[in-house]
Amino acid sequence: MNQDKGEKYKDAYVVDGKLALPYQYFAGTVGSKFLIALRDKREILGVRCDTCGKVYVPPRQVCEKDFEDLGDKWVMLGNTGVVTNFTIVHKDDKHRPRKAPYILAMIKLDGADTAIPHVLEMVQPENVEIGMEVKAVFSSEPTNTILDIDHFEPVL
Amino acid sequence: MAEYFGTTVEDIFRTQDSRFRPEGAEGVDVVVAYNISGAGGGRWKLTVKDGASKTEKLKDDDFGGFTAKMSADAETFVGVAVGQLDGAAMFTSGKLKGEGDMSVLMKLPMMFTKYMPPKKGITAADILATAVERFRPDMAGDLDITVGYKLSGEGGGEWTAVIKDGKCALEEGLRDGLTVTNIASASDYVDLMLGKLDPLVAIGAGRLQLKGDMETAQKLPKLFSKFIPPEASSGPELIVLKKTISVDMKYSTGRMMGKFLKGLKEKKILANKCPECGRRQVPPREICAACVCRAEEFVEVGPEGVITMIEYVYYASPDPLTGETRETPYGVAIILLDGCEGNETMWHLLKSDELDSFKRGDRIRPVWAEERTGNLFDIKYFEKVR
Repeated sequence: MNQDKGEKYKDAYVVDGKLALPYQYFAGTVGSKFLIALRDKREILGVRCDTCGKVYVPPRQVCEKDFEDLGDKWVMLGNTGVVTNFTIVHKDDKHRPRKAPYILAMIKLDGADTAIPHVLEMVQPENVEIGMEVKAVFSSEPTNTILDIDHFEPVL
Repeated sequence: MAEYFGTTVEDIFRTQDSRFRPEGAEGVDVVVAYNISGAGGGRWKLTVKDGASKTEKLKDDDFGGFTAKMSADAETFVGVAVGQLDGAAMFTSGKLKGEGDMSVLMKLPMMFTKYMPPKKGITAADILATAVERFRPDMAGDLDITVGYKLSGEGGGEWTAVIKDGKCALEEGLRDGLTVTNIASASDYVDLMLGKLDPLVAIGAGRLQLKGDMETAQKLPKLFSKFIPPEASSGPELIVLKKTISVDMKYSTGRMMGKFLKGLKEKKILANKCPECGRRQVPPREICAACVCRAEEFVEVGPEGVITMIEYVYYASPDPLTGETRETPYGVAIILLDGCEGNETMWHLLKSDELDSFKRGDRIRPVWAEERTGNLFDIKYFEKVR
């Protein structure tokens, strides 16, 4: 910064702020049933479209292809699946579920056609492979969120 | 206590005085006797006089003098009071009987609002009442602690959970020397226990305070199994999460706003003046908005001024500097400071305990903060010049 500029901007300074965003998230009727099954029964539920046969996890009200109402087409899935993709999270942020670095993997549960993102633990980042078999480990504390599955880890 | 239509006779009389409508009882001077038979019944006496009502439960049969008397069995009385049974039909069938000045009985519905049964939501007391059965001795081990619950607001109260020898007992009131004390509003506590409010968010926002031994406090959630609301609740459970995301920010003042804020630190309100049109901008901006030229000259304005507009805020958004939401209602004014003209106004808060007394045109002055840091709230608020 040259002298002129320093003089010109001598009154400018930076203040710290904090933006708090209160919000209310409604899981919906289908989402609530999914989360309650996770929390109370430790079961992972999906929905199946009768027309195309696609199984959605997390469940949704309407099939994106056929517009079928899937609200009561529940199927129970196992707690195992495969990694279809993954990334290593290197940047910390207070809203993230883990301290960096951690592995965020896309996991397709056995019997499902869609993958869910979740934390993958008990494996070093360099050892993660696409196609790796993993299982869900449930949280001991209820959270009413997808984090009622605490993480996934490799099936040994 | 016998319930009819989910309500007891006692409920109706206990709330009667709070449901009194003085406008429906102008000039009324009466004593009404109630003789309610059957389970949950009894005798009550209502006195309405000088625009006030008094309801009392009588121990014996002696009503003394009365203007009118109503007799019914408990079920009929409650049914009529909650609107489940038709009063006129009950009179005709003789289930509801009147004596004395019948016109007084006819006027009663004008004098009192209808009894509304309280909503059967889950209360903090309901949840704490299940604490003993939700207690998990396997997790408690040989803990010997007392946990206080100080819950404010509607449905609040004070309780102590005594955990010792693998057992949990609940007492009303707070014991001395508590190991941990939970302080929250009763409604926040219910939301916490139902999983609607995140404990970390609640602590961060100061809505849940934990006092005492923090190590023990952290163990508490594990000592009890989750509270599951009774099935009586209508329909399937739906999940609603209330959260607060907080994002750390940095704001650059820029050189004009920086100078203005530094001025506040010295109890000066600075405006910048346009070299072409002479109008002032407060807070100052680099460019005159009318002439689109640089305006570098600073002039001191105020500190007193006149209110040109008042706005009352009932739903506050969070303050971007602190993340806190201001208490509502609060008032803000658009202020024309001395030395400014026309639309050369600035914004600030009005003194909250005098909100009702401000009006347009009032002269006001800033109240400066003791410790000033170069912040818009170096002026705490504006108050009236007296």
